[in-house]
Amino acid sequence: MIGNISRTTRSFHVPWAVLPRPSRSVIFDLPVFAFGLALLYSFVIIAHYWSGPLTPRVAIDLSPRALPVYTFYSVLRIFVAYLLSLAFTLIYGYIAAYNPRAERFMVPLLDILQSIPVLSFLPGVMLAMVALFPRRQLGVELGAILLIFTGQVWNMAFSFYSSLKSIPTEMREAARLYRFNWWQAFTQMELPYSVIGLVWNSMMSVAGGWFFLMACEMFVLGKRDFRLPGLGSYLQTAASAGNGKAITWGLLTMVVVIVLTDQLVWRPLIAWAQKFKFENVEAVDVPRSPVLTFLRHSRILSALSNKTTAPLGEALALHFARRHDQSKPPARGSAIRVWFVRILGIAAAGVVGYALVKSVVLIAGLGVSGLKSILLGAAATFLRVNVALLIGAIWTIPVGVAIGTHPKLARVAQPLAQIAASVPATALFPLVLLALIHVGGGLGIGSILLLLLGTQWYILFNVIAGATAIPADLQEVCHIFGFSRIERWRKLILPAIFPYLLTGLVTASGGAWNASIVAEYFHLQGKIFSTTGLGALISHATDDGNSQLLLTATIAMALVVVTVNRLLWRRLYRLASTRYRLG
Amino acid sequence: MTSSPNQFQTLVSQQRWREASTLLAALPEPSAADLLTGLPDEQQLSLFRALPIPLAAALLSRLPYYDQYILLHARPVDEMRRVLDEMDPNERMRFFDELPEEAWQRLVDEIGELQPQGPATDQTEAAPAVRLRQRAPTAEAQQPIIEARGLEKSFLQPDGRKVQVVAPLDLSIYPDTIIALLGASGCGKSTLLRMLTGLAQPSSGLVLWHGRQVGETAPNVAIVFQSFALFPWLTVQENVEAPLLARGVASDERRRRAVAAIETVGLKGFEAAYPKELSGGMRQRVGFARALVVEPEVLFMDEPFSALDVLTAESLRGELLELWQARKIKTSAVFIVTHNIEEAVLLADRVIVLGRHPAKIRADFRIVLPQPRDHKSPQFLLYVDFIYKVMTQPEADVTLPTLTEPQQKAYPLLPHAMPGGIAGLLELLADSGGEEDLYHLAERLRMEVDDLLPITDAAALLGFAELKGGDARLTERGKGFAEADIATRKRLFRQASVEHILLFQQIVSTLSAKSDHSIPIELFRDILDEHFPKNEVERQLEIALDWGRYSQLFTYDPETERLVQSQEITSPAEPQPADTSS
Repeated sequence: MIGNISRTTRSFHVPWAVLPRPSRSVIFDLPVFAFGLALLYSFVIIAHYWSGPLTPRVAIDLSPRALPVYTFYSVLRIFVAYLLSLAFTLIYGYIAAYNPRAERFMVPLLDILQSIPVLSFLPGVMLAMVALFPRRQLGVELGAILLIFTGQVWNMAFSFYSSLKSIPTEMREAARLYRFNWWQAFTQMELPYSVIGLVWNSMMSVAGGWFFLMACEMFVLGKRDFRLPGLGSYLQTAASAGNGKAITWGLLTMVVVIVLTDQLVWRPLIAWAQKFKFENVEAVDVPRSPVLTFLRHSRILSALSNKTTAPLGEALALHFARRHDQSKPPARGSAIRVWFVRILGIAAAGVVGYALVKSVVLIAGLGVSGLKSILLGAAATFLRVNVALLIGAIWTIPVGVAIGTHPKLARVAQPLAQIAASVPATALFPLVLLALIHVGGGLGIGSILLLLLGTQWYILFNVIAGATAIPADLQEVCHIFGFSRIERWRKLILPAIFPYLLTGLVTASGGAWNASIVAEYFHLQGKIFSTTGLGALISHATDDGNSQLLLTATIAMALVVVTVNRLLWRRLYRLASTRYRLG
Repeated sequence: MTSSPNQFQTLVSQQRWREASTLLAALPEPSAADLLTGLPDEQQLSLFRALPIPLAAALLSRLPYYDQYILLHARPVDEMRRVLDEMDPNERMRFFDELPEEAWQRLVDEIGELQPQGPATDQTEAAPAVRLRQRAPTAEAQQPIIEARGLEKSFLQPDGRKVQVVAPLDLSIYPDTIIALLGASGCGKSTLLRMLTGLAQPSSGLVLWHGRQVGETAPNVAIVFQSFALFPWLTVQENVEAPLLARGVASDERRRRAVAAIETVGLKGFEAAYPKELSGGMRQRVGFARALVVEPEVLFMDEPFSALDVLTAESLRGELLELWQARKIKTSAVFIVTHNIEEAVLLADRVIVLGRHPAKIRADFRIVLPQPRDHKSPQFLLYVDFIYKVMTQPEADVTLPTLTEPQQKAYPLLPHAMPGGIAGLLELLADSGGEEDLYHLAERLRMEVDDLLPITDAAALLGFAELKGGDARLTERGKGFAEADIATRKRLFRQASVEHILLFQQIVSTLSAKSDHSIPIELFRDILDEHFPKNEVERQLEIALDWGRYSQLFTYDPETERLVQSQEITSPAEPQPADTSS
């Protein structure tokens, strides 16, 4: 019988044998080398700038020549914030997945944190950082980075946590049975299993970073006006000055950077991550990236990895394995450990309790008129968010279904839509606002448009995905029985895209609530445009340094978002997964 | 005297076998034999296993050959011979006379096995050119590798009740044997395997590896999983190396051993491939290589072939046996969990059959056919038939109380069968004259026993069929059902389910008591929660809904999550002419 198998081997199509061997061309290596040099140079520059004295208020130069440096600073901020998010994600997700006691409060906490807008973190984060490094630029920089971090991290942490929770039992058992230590389990099972979810969520997170860049790089905190050199502050300064040319330049730069990131970072990452897909058959249509192919063929990189990462990985793995092998099963519940955990728990409870009492006192001091304005604001924003969702759904459903069911149209429309969606709506706000003011509209209506700009894409892309997934035979059934157009929509299309539409709406709703802080309150041409709303209240409170109002408004927003999630979206989800599931 | 049958029942239902056997010993033999055969089969086997040998022999003498044969196999092989020795010579003669030819042949083989100069052993030594593994020596000769004592697993429900999955059982695994653990799916086989390997903690009892508790030592085991459980992002080579890396084996040594293991399973040349580039059979070979590379003392396999197609499974099984017999794998015992009877008889030296709810040992015997085995030989078929009979003995009405709360009756379990399947079975039975051997039935349907069993169980539970010693017989009602049209069938099914099934009685009476004839399904989920583990509860509800829909007793509204009484019942005049909604 063994002979049998080797016979099949010979006639078997062996994909890895026909792959091109790594190319030996030097041309491939030149760009890699150049890139290394550039990286080194930027390290030096950054170190010099960050350790420099504090200049909280940089004059922003509006000439296009200043843009490369500003862009560099912004990209670096987003990058560092992303690294922080990743580290946080791994630790938070790991603890939440493996410590049942911690899980019980860590997961709902994520839900709440996700619903808190970035600006609400601003005063605390910023003041703490400035206090930590009072004389160095580093403090303000770290503050801005942490702000971007708060906008990026939550969905990543959630994704990692749920990946860990969904690792198949038998795979976990194999790891336990074959005595994997935590390091090996992490590198060979947990991380690979979570990679795909992490990559997609990283893309979303970084896009979110761009979205809130303007808010994070330039803001007023009480009497202090903070400005950091960067693309976000450039755009905002240009908007304040009403300088259309500068806005266009800034916008253009941003689009270029985002498209480049997509091509140079995300596409290769997605193509690489296919390796980690948990599937049993090889997919036919695999995402590819020329950049990845290029990197894989680079001689310097492969030599470098052979000399550095590969031996390092081996040494680490062996180190952990040998330590694990010697260690006895842990003596459970040693008294010191138990006490340590207890004391830690009591301390944490104390801090939380103190903060709770303080905030209650603070909120109580707000008075009836303050509460009234918050309620009014919440109602206004609620209305605005849902009107924006409605308008978004009304135009994206027909368009998305058309794109999803007509492959020819999809080939043209989908890349265009992707580029359009990649431009952060915040960057477009000034242009849109200028136009609105020109035709004489106010921010009350305008902010709906702004929310729509930011969130319609989530709905569109999900509808397209849903429409693509409608099985051809069901379409044929409709055709054979001569369903009218209305009947077809009611009986097939709407039910079929419902789960996807729902995903789009949920994401869009969350995004819209968060975006309301920038959509309802805007600096333009030296004036502040604002309208009634919870987002405007939060932005305003941040500007004024009114922590009382800020805290209450933030709690109100978190409360509304979490409640809507629980009462509406979760139920609809259940309906979607029971009744409207295809296949 | 009059109270003794009752007392006996109580003792048996509390599984106090020793006291029950003392009681039997005090009775006159004919009544003792009657009492024994009056028990549900399962308890019969357990009790018989506990009887002292003279009493066992005496009682056995009074039974028909069929019961004799089955009961005899409740005991270990060495005891079988002693029981036979103790029997009244005339009765023993009668037994041998009445026993069918093949059964007798096999029995003789089994007993002959114990004698050092038996014909069977001669055969093995003469046959092979390669040095074959010795057939498993007798149990007494060796120390067990693994010994399980009073092993038990139960889950705690949220409301504090215990659901028992594995009843307390003793089990020893000796070197040089392939053991097959057989049982219908979901009977707790996998749980048992995981407790033996130390992957799962028993609720009580001990697992000893060479006399040391499994938590204290890390036993050198490997499992071949049903789903392969390979890491899709690692190449074949890396997958096989992973367990070695975990043991801190350095790179070169790791590579060498992995390559050797990959070659052993016939995957040479595929080292750099990823699992998803391989076929199912080749992937399971990687699973084998990964298991063999650590040179486990006991190789565990959890339904290793059931995810593969029939031909692939067959060739893999053959290779496994070849490797084992030629001692190419350095493993002193193999423990394979399966639901496939033929697979067990093909591979194993010893077969253990588990009963369900909770799992307990129904039979534990040795297979003394020489390898390679011919699955068409009469002896082979006899084993298959025997296991079928053990597995198909009706359990549905076994009112075995759980050990933790002896007074509480087990909640009857709905067999995992669809009304359509039940109807199909009854038609088939009617076609073959109302009675058929279950094994033949399964063969005609090309079904595995654990696909067929739930259907026959369901038919029996509804009173449409009777199961007796491996045969299924149509009852009058079942005959009526098989001959009826759809509307009548639904009515009959409705009557039968309300008459025989506790859950249906509860549902129907609650529904008719309510003014709006509907009730949240949560209520019944709560009721079932007290008796079954979580996923079984969902299964039970699904089955109940299926049956309810078919019989038009009630339907389920997913939006309100309520059970709703069907129209037909609220106006019980005439069964509606049913459309083809089933």
